[in-house]
Amino acid sequence: MKKGLIVQVIDIQFANLPGILEDILRDVMTEDTIQGCDYDPFNISSQIAVLKDTKILICKIRGAIEDGKAKTETSWLPSRTNSRIVPYSIEKLASTRNGKRPVTLGRTRSDHLTVDVKMLDGKLNIITGKKGVGKSHLSKLLILSLIQNGAPCLVIDVNGEYVNIGRTKNDEPTAYADKITVLKPGQSLKFGLSGVGLKTFLNTMIYALDLPRTSSKVFSRIWNELERSGNLKLDSLNDAIRRFSCHESVREAIYSRFNTLMDLELFTDDISERFDFSLFEKKMNEGHAFIINMKDEHAISRRLVVELFISKLTEQLSEMRLKAVFLFAEEAHFYLRETYWEDIITRMRHLGVFTTFITNQPDTVQESVYRQADNIFMFNITNEHDLDAISKVAKIDAESLRSIVKDLPAHNCLIVGDIVRDFPIVVNVKPLDIQTMGQTRHFFQD
Amino acid sequence: MTHRTQDIGFEHSKISMLLSEESGNILLPDFLLNLSSESMRTLGGGFFEPREVTTVEGELEDAVEEEPHLNLANTTIIDEPAPIAKVIGNCTVAAVDVSSVRVGESEQGLLYALRGALVWREGLSYNFTRCGPLAFHLNDLIARSLNRRSRANDNLSYSAWSPLSERLLSRLRNTLERWMQRLACSRLSRGIVLLDGSLTAGTPDNPTVYLEDILNRSRENGNAVIAFSKETKLCFSGKKITRLLDKANYPCMLNIDRIITPQFPSAPVRLMGRVYVAKLTSRGLPFRVDIDRQLSEESAAKAVGRLINSDIVEQGYPETLRLAHILSTFTANEILAIQRHLSIEYGLKLAPRLSFRRSLFGPYGTSTEAS
Repeated sequence: MKKGLIVQVIDIQFANLPGILEDILRDVMTEDTIQGCDYDPFNISSQIAVLKDTKILICKIRGAIEDGKAKTETSWLPSRTNSRIVPYSIEKLASTRNGKRPVTLGRTRSDHLTVDVKMLDGKLNIITGKKGVGKSHLSKLLILSLIQNGAPCLVIDVNGEYVNIGRTKNDEPTAYADKITVLKPGQSLKFGLSGVGLKTFLNTMIYALDLPRTSSKVFSRIWNELERSGNLKLDSLNDAIRRFSCHESVREAIYSRFNTLMDLELFTDDISERFDFSLFEKKMNEGHAFIINMKDEHAISRRLVVELFISKLTEQLSEMRLKAVFLFAEEAHFYLRETYWEDIITRMRHLGVFTTFITNQPDTVQESVYRQADNIFMFNITNEHDLDAISKVAKIDAESLRSIVKDLPAHNCLIVGDIVRDFPIVVNVKPLDIQTMGQTRHFFQD
Repeated sequence: MTHRTQDIGFEHSKISMLLSEESGNILLPDFLLNLSSESMRTLGGGFFEPREVTTVEGELEDAVEEEPHLNLANTTIIDEPAPIAKVIGNCTVAAVDVSSVRVGESEQGLLYALRGALVWREGLSYNFTRCGPLAFHLNDLIARSLNRRSRANDNLSYSAWSPLSERLLSRLRNTLERWMQRLACSRLSRGIVLLDGSLTAGTPDNPTVYLEDILNRSRENGNAVIAFSKETKLCFSGKKITRLLDKANYPCMLNIDRIITPQFPSAPVRLMGRVYVAKLTSRGLPFRVDIDRQLSEESAAKAVGRLINSDIVEQGYPETLRLAHILSTFTANEILAIQRHLSIEYGLKLAPRLSFRRSLFGPYGTSTEAS
């Protein structure tokens, strides 16, 4: 084929032929009330049955093939009379199986879809769909593919679904189990003041606990004095806040927030209990996934932990101590402050935070994220409001998106974006031999 | 959708058994089948201009007009309509209707399809036998061939073929319709046979002899033949005769035969039925109704009384006849199917339809032409 137009079937409908309604009405009207037989000597009626079931394929132009090469832009139209319709393997268009880091995402209607995981590098991704259709499953597949290829991942796990990602269904460790660390705030995840540093701690106080700016200046002075005296410990900080010479309202503002932090038991002076950010750096640079299990965590705790980590990550990335981080943020609206959305898309992306948002509430993700997303993985969504939200995606037209996404069966996802070379593809996501259900508690055990 | 006032159940009726045992050549005459095949063979591939069927085209069926316009002088005093009394005791009601439709045009002639439906109600159940579609390629060659056959084949004498191709459709349709009517009248006994149209015969395309034969067979079997005209061109005082029952709000019938028969003093056109205007239900529509003239007036009234007791008569029209019409009528989708069949079976190539209006006036042609 020298030249061709690539069209994708986005919907299959019954053809609305003239007279079809009358036919159906007549059939319905007579089928239960009148019985009889047709004597059709030339078997013409068989054609009627064929016509009644005639289907129309609704297609969208996706690109063109010129000199055997597929491209997404096209500026010509083929002849309406001399053109032929031929099936074309979607894998030929979208697959990047010859890439250096191939990963098979699943099956299309005809073949396996293998893509290059590099296409997630430096990208902003969204995984969305209604509950129970396979979003977490896909994100686990992506995380495993990334760590297999030595990429660092940080997973903010709101529902405790990723905690068993390193174990098989038979509860044995997977080949990558030693590259996965699960952190539980307050238990396996506690911070030391010096490890966190003033900037991160202060950001947490300001953004997670709404510490006023004036109070933050006072707090900085307190912190710096303790640091200079080599006495930066929780008890000392507590005493210093209480004794520091400042207006009572400022003291009260700082003290109340400090107490909130202490109540959450996220900080410790015990060196053996502290989260080691140096080790974190080392492991991440070697390709590791840290899962922060925030299931059952208080909303403030979630915000604090995320604030601390993002702030720390930004610091490490700016100082080039970390190469990059693939951040998987589940239901980010629970813990991400307003100003971070824009930050994640722009500044932090340039620093090396490549975020994948995973949500079953598409309208909670800011519109700018949809517009800027490089890869979008969409599972079934039937709610019109949710469809409106995801229709903001710039990589595919709203009509195709709505038509395809509404009818997707579970575990099937529409992928658009760089990872599939901008050819929208529906994939049945491949199963994984890991414990996928996390730690959901059930009443019925059988 | 049918609004049924009675429960309709299924049971195998005698007529049903009889018809299901019939071979095709009883349901459809061999000569008609052969004629269809023969005429279609004359196509020999080539281009075919299919009839355009769109949703805006309401009337697909090609009506065959035979009824002459007739204005009756109002010098006669019209009787009061007689109430219709239900006659207790059910009888089998059978109805026949045939539809024809133009499917397209070949380079040599016109392509038509015919289909007939015979519906009967026995007890509470409705049954049908539908025959067709039969496709015919109407051209002069076929007309000549028909003439030759008419001399060689007794069966074909059932219809006296004319070489005029424009009358062929009417004759073909009448042939099928009369065949199916004769089948109904022969197989049914002590029942009512409902026909679509009138009991007028004697035109070249509708010879008297065949209707006479049907009525004779019917009488031999103790049946009553009643014909319902959906449209009539008989007028009285400038108004359609059905308006004569405008004021009647009860089931009734009005014998208007004595003012019509003087208009048909001699052959060829003969009124073989006694002409009435009848309203079968109090709020129903009035219809011109022809009842076998050989039945006494009393028997005719009884036949109508038995009809309204034996069949559902929604809107003043018998359900059996309504179903026969519905089952025989072609929908646009069926026309498309027939066109597809022709292109596959006879290798016809679809030719684009040339619209002079569209060519000349573009989008400024009339809506139907431009569509």
